[in-house]
Formats: sequence, C-alpha cells, structure tokens
Amino acid sequence: MQEKEDILVKVEGLTLGFPVRKEKNTVIDGISFSLKQGEILGLVGESGSGKTMTALAIAGLLPEAAKVFEGKIIFSSKNLFNLKQQELRQLKGREISMIFQEPMTSLNPVMTIGFQIEEMLLLHERGLSPEKRKTKIYAALEEAGLKDVKELYYKYPHQLSGGMRQRVMIAMAMICKPRLLIADEPTTALDVTIQAQILKLLKKLQKEHNTAILLISHDLGVIRHICSRALVMKNGKIEEQGLVEEIFFSPRTSYTKELIEAVPVIDKEMGGINVSSVSLKNSNSEKVILSVKDLEVRYEEKAKGFLKEKSYKQVVNRVSLHLLEGESLGIVGESGSGKTTLAKAVLGLIDNWKGDIKLVEKSPRMVFQDPYQSLNPSKKVGWILEEPLKLSGSGYRKEERQNKVDNILTRIGLNVSYKDRYLSQLSGGQRQRIAIGVALIQNSKFIVLDEPVSALDVTVQAQILNLLKELREEYKLSYLFISHDLKVIHKMCDRVCVMYQGEIVEEASVSELFTEPSHEYSKKLLEAVL
Amino acid sequence: MNIRKDQKQLSRILGAVLVGLVAAFVIIGIFYTPYDPNEMNSALKNAAPTFSHPFGTDNFGRDILSRVMTGAKTTFFVAITTIIIGGGIGTFIGALTGYYGGLLDEVLMRINDGLTSFPSILLALIFVSVVGAGKYNVILALGIIFVPSFARVIRSEFIQYKEMDFVKNAKLMGAGDFRIMFVHILPNTRPILLSSLTIGFNNAVLAEAGMSYLQLGVQPPDASLGRMLSEAQSFLFNAPWYALAPGFMIVVTVLGFSLINES
Repeated sequence: MQEKEDILVKVEGLTLGFPVRKEKNTVIDGISFSLKQGEILGLVGESGSGKTMTALAIAGLLPEAAKVFEGKIIFSSKNLFNLKQQELRQLKGREISMIFQEPMTSLNPVMTIGFQIEEMLLLHERGLSPEKRKTKIYAALEEAGLKDVKELYYKYPHQLSGGMRQRVMIAMAMICKPRLLIADEPTTALDVTIQAQILKLLKKLQKEHNTAILLISHDLGVIRHICSRALVMKNGKIEEQGLVEEIFFSPRTSYTKELIEAVPVIDKEMGGINVSSVSLKNSNSEKVILSVKDLEVRYEEKAKGFLKEKSYKQVVNRVSLHLLEGESLGIVGESGSGKTTLAKAVLGLIDNWKGDIKLVEKSPRMVFQDPYQSLNPSKKVGWILEEPLKLSGSGYRKEERQNKVDNILTRIGLNVSYKDRYLSQLSGGQRQRIAIGVALIQNSKFIVLDEPVSALDVTVQAQILNLLKELREEYKLSYLFISHDLKVIHKMCDRVCVMYQGEIVEEASVSELFTEPSHEYSKKLLEAVL
Repeated sequence: MNIRKDQKQLSRILGAVLVGLVAAFVIIGIFYTPYDPNEMNSALKNAAPTFSHPFGTDNFGRDILSRVMTGAKTTFFVAITTIIIGGGIGTFIGALTGYYGGLLDEVLMRINDGLTSFPSILLALIFVSVVGAGKYNVILALGIIFVPSFARVIRSEFIQYKEMDFVKNAKLMGAGDFRIMFVHILPNTRPILLSSLTIGFNNAVLAEAGMSYLQLGVQPPDASLGRMLSEAQSFLFNAPWYALAPGFMIVVTVLGFSLINES
C-alpha cells in the first residue's frame, strides 16, 4: 500500500505519433514506467528516441499535430488525458513544471526577469499582495543560486549569461513548489563547469522540497551524476529500465551496451595514454608544421554614444603554440575562450590579427561543428566533394575527379551511390563524414577540427571519432582539435592547450593534464567532467 | 494539417491550369489567329460575339479574339523581358551588396531607396515621356523600376548565407568571390527568386496594361491588352465584349501566377 502512494506519475502503454493521412508516424510506441515522489528519474536516448515527446506528453505540451493513439498518463490518480483544459491548467506550473534546453529562447526577451517569474504567482497563487510576491521571487532567485536579486529583478534575459538564464528558469519552475519538475536537456547548451553547478542545484532542490525530477538527456554522464533510476529509450520504445548503477555496470540490452561503450572514458590509471598516440609518437618527426607566436585578435565593440573612444574586446590574447608533424593538438575551452577565433586566424579566415603565424601546409582544411550548416544545401554530395578538386587548380580532368570522389566516399564509409543525393536526405553523422571527406580529398596534411562531433548523438560520435583516428594514422595527418569536451580530447589528442578567456593557461601532454593539472582552471574543468 | 496540404495542391493545380490556358492562347497566337488582327472590316463594326467572331469585333471591325491573342503575346513579351532585365540586374546588385557590404552596399542601397521612393508608374511615365512611347521603351522603363525589389530580396538572402560555414569553407578552399556568390550561394536562393519572378511577372503585366491604357505603351495598330482596354472604354455600353475579353485575359493570367506562387 505504501508503495502505491509513493508513485507520483504512472505512464501506461503510451503510444503517440504524428498522423498524416494514412501514415501513423508513431513516435512513442507503448511505453510504461512510473516515477515516485521525490525521485530523480533519468530518461536517456538519442535523437529520435521519443524522449522529448514523452516529456511533452506528461507536461501537456504536445504539439497540435501529435495524436495520442493509446495509453494513459496518471498523475496523482488522475488520467491527464481525461482532464479538461481548466483542470490541466491548474496542474501546469503548480504541480507539474518544466525547464527546457535552450536558455536563449525559453525566456521572453521583452519581459524583465521579475515580471516573468511573477506570472507564475499571478496564475497560481492569487491571494498574494505585490510586496509578498516580490519577496517570494527574491527568495526563489536566491535559492536558484543567483546574486543581487533585487537588481536582477529588473534585468532582461539578454543581459544574463546562459547559466544565469537557466537558473532563472529553474527559479520560475520551482517557485510554486511543484511535485514534478521535468527537465529537458537542461545543461546541454551550457559549458561544462556551469553544467556541474546546475545539476548540483537540481539535486539540492529535490532534497529540500521532495520534488520528483524527470531528467532527460542524451548525456550518460549527466544521468549517472544525479539520477537514481533511469530509462533507456530507442525508437519510441523503452530498451531498459532500472537503477542507474545496474544499467551502467551490467547493461542488459545490446543497445544500452553500445551507448555506454560509445562514451569515451578517461582512464586515469593508465595516465591517459592511448595506444595509437604512442605508436604515432614513435614515428613523429620533429618538424614543426604550425607555429603561432603572440597571436592577438580583438574585435571592435560598437562605440557607445558619441564619444570617439573605441573599446575593444580582446578575444585572443598573446597566444603561442606549435604543432608537430603527425601530432594531434587539442584546444580545450568553454564558450568565449577564443578557441574558434584562434582556429580561424590560423586558417586565414579573419583579417585583423597581430602576431606571427607560420603554417607549412599550403592548403589547410577545416571540419566545422554544425553539419547542417557546413555543407551547401543546394548541391548534391558529388558536387560538394568535387568542388575542392575543381578549386585547387591542379588540373585534374573530369574522370580523375570522379575517381577521387568515389574513392573518398568509400573511405569515409559511404556508398558511392551517395554522390547523387542531396544533403536533406542525410543524417548528421553522414553529413559530418562528407565534411571530413571534403577536408581530405585534396591530400591536405593539416586539418583543423572545430567541435566536429558536438552536434552528434553519442553512438554516432564514437563512429566519427574512430574514423578520424583511422584516417590520421593512414594518411599521417596533423590535427588541431578543438573541443569543450575533455573526454573527446582525451581520446583524440596527444597534447592539449587549455584556453580561458583568450589565453592559454596550460599546455601539457594529455597524460600530464589528466593526471596532474597545474592551473586552477584546468583542475576545475577536470572536476566538472562527469 | 491535412486540409492545408490539400488546399495547397488545389491552388497549385488551379493556377497551373489557368496559366496553361493563357500560355496555350499565346503560343497558338504566335502561329495562327483566326483573322489578321489588324484587318478591318467596316461591315462588321462592333459586332456582338458570334460563331465566326467568338469575342466579337471592335470599332474598326477587327476580330477581338485575334487581337486578344496577339495582345496577350505582346503583354507577355513585355512582362517576361521586364523581369529578365529587372531580375537580372537586381539579382546581380543584390548579390554584390549582400556579399560585400560596406561602402558599396551603402551607396547602392541608397540609390535603390531613391528608386523605390517614387511611385513606380509615375517614374515609368516620366521615363517614357522623355524617351518616347513604344514597346521597347516600356520594357526599359519597367525593367529599371523592377530592379530595387529584386535587389533587396536577393541582398537579404545573401547576407544570411554569407556567414554560413559552407561559405567559409569555400573561401578556405580557394574559391573566388564571384564563384562563391553565383555558384555556391545563388542556387540556395532559388525558391525566393522564383517567387519574386512570379510576382514581378504579375506586376509587369499589370504595369504594361496600365501604361498601354494611358497610350504610352504599345502603339497602334499593334494590340496589347492594355491598349484594348483603353480603346474599349468608349464602347463600354454598346459593346461590352470589347473590354471584357482583354480584361478577362489579364485577370486570368495574374490569378494563375499568383496561385502558383502562393502554393
């Protein structure tokens, strides 16, 4: 009897989809699970698994086009699908609350912070006087870890950082002390160090208010960090559910195993030495192929008012580094650290820099972060791969070009028939493979990779990283590998530079950095790795 | 959601049918008209529609059907060349200003604004009164007037696309500016470009009709839909078919293209 009362949410046989004429387009296929009071339940899955839809279904936020074919969602003994609009609205915000992934778009940009949070109180706690409301709002903001709440009250979202906005969202979600908080990828868009703080905050709130949390993430580390139980979803079905420790140490289904294995693990005992980098070190030449000395990049900030004084923002501040032939150098840093700007400067993509850059490779290539923006959407794959050959002016004839395109397609793991496809028909992972193909097709030896796998699902990430590793060995390439993800850096790089606010605060071999970091910031980064 | 999709299909089909009819009219008219459009027949002045003259005859006894066919041909010709000139130059300017920005952008956009601030018909009239009336002058005038709207649309597309990673990659690989603008970026603007061309075509048809109506476009004895409308004015009550035929053509054409455009 006690157990039954403990259950806050019960999902039974939920099946829903986006029907278009005769096609059902099922997105969630008969899932059942329950969430207890005060429990933190993790929902893990890759894109297309149905996890976000599940969250939206419970929160009552399904898009119009979605139709629930079967199933119930029972929240404190009421089936949510049977409730009328009025009753549902009373639940939303007061008993069930949600926070979203993108802190940029989840707050109304034209309303002050205070005003937005006040909405919650105006809707659900009508009897309060304006002063009492303000006090409550201040308290909620402080509880969410924000400072100077009295001034914050009047600020607008664009004046706050991503982490702060997320805290505001959490304050807003928690102010009515809901029994269930749904968090949809709450930390994915945030820097690693901020991520750790937000998760800590969620755990604190759960403890203090006995709030149940449904935490959705594609990041296994996040789930493992604060959830007690978890569900693994794939293609709309639940692959596995159980205690987090069980899932991670003895996964039962092959998909779960695949997910877990795909996450790079930092094996501190081995000192972070991975086999391929050892073999490469032996065959390393001492030839320096990239040398950067005292690089400075600054952007002019718009002059405020009529004063002729121009203010500058120093994006890269006297950075020096070097890269040896065949080496993979990692640049790790959070957003705003200047790592992408550094890469662009090295490649000659920006004009206003000072300092000294020497690059041996005449045609360096780059693989960009967003596979949806880095390739021309109006062209076929064959054209995209052929274009660099046409541009290189090496006088390849059409036949030779076609041959090269076919070869590279096979090498990156795609069928030659892909030549005739358009990008819109391909997945993120496939697009990134093509981006890699573009970078390699001209036999360039130096490749800059700017967060090449950050936008991909975990299992796809692993495939792409393995491909990159193979290609590096086979063609003796040198990589400048930029990432915010230490686990990826650990897997792919020999040496690493840690960047913080435009400066390199530490430079070390991967094994050194992961076992004995010297700079404060490096230590902080390592601690935040889940 | 299903209904909307079907509606779109319907619009597209209806529009295509209408345009198809008009196009057939024009194409046939190039090779064959029932009568010589300029042949006068005083015996049959202002005759009502009959079997031998399905649209009736005008005040000179000319067969209206034939005149409408050649008129439509003229109007189409004017409209198409107008959007080719306006669209071509406009796209080029839009590409340059969008891609390069800076001083070039400022200067060209101000000229653009200047052109737009005049009511277009007024500008056309002024132009034509200076260089003289006639089919080709109308085309020139309208072509120039249509440049700003194309330029603006293409420019905003280019501004959006030039920051994208694939453009940066193209630069990295050594593509020249013009290649990037016209081989890499422009194909991405195809949907918007087609849409603008369709709207431009409609406006050109209407503008030509307007100009010819005011006796400034196509000169007699050539036919054009607008001319016919102006000539038909005085006979609106005794011989309404004179006005109805060209008017109907214009409406059908514009409607057809608009429907296709929206879907």
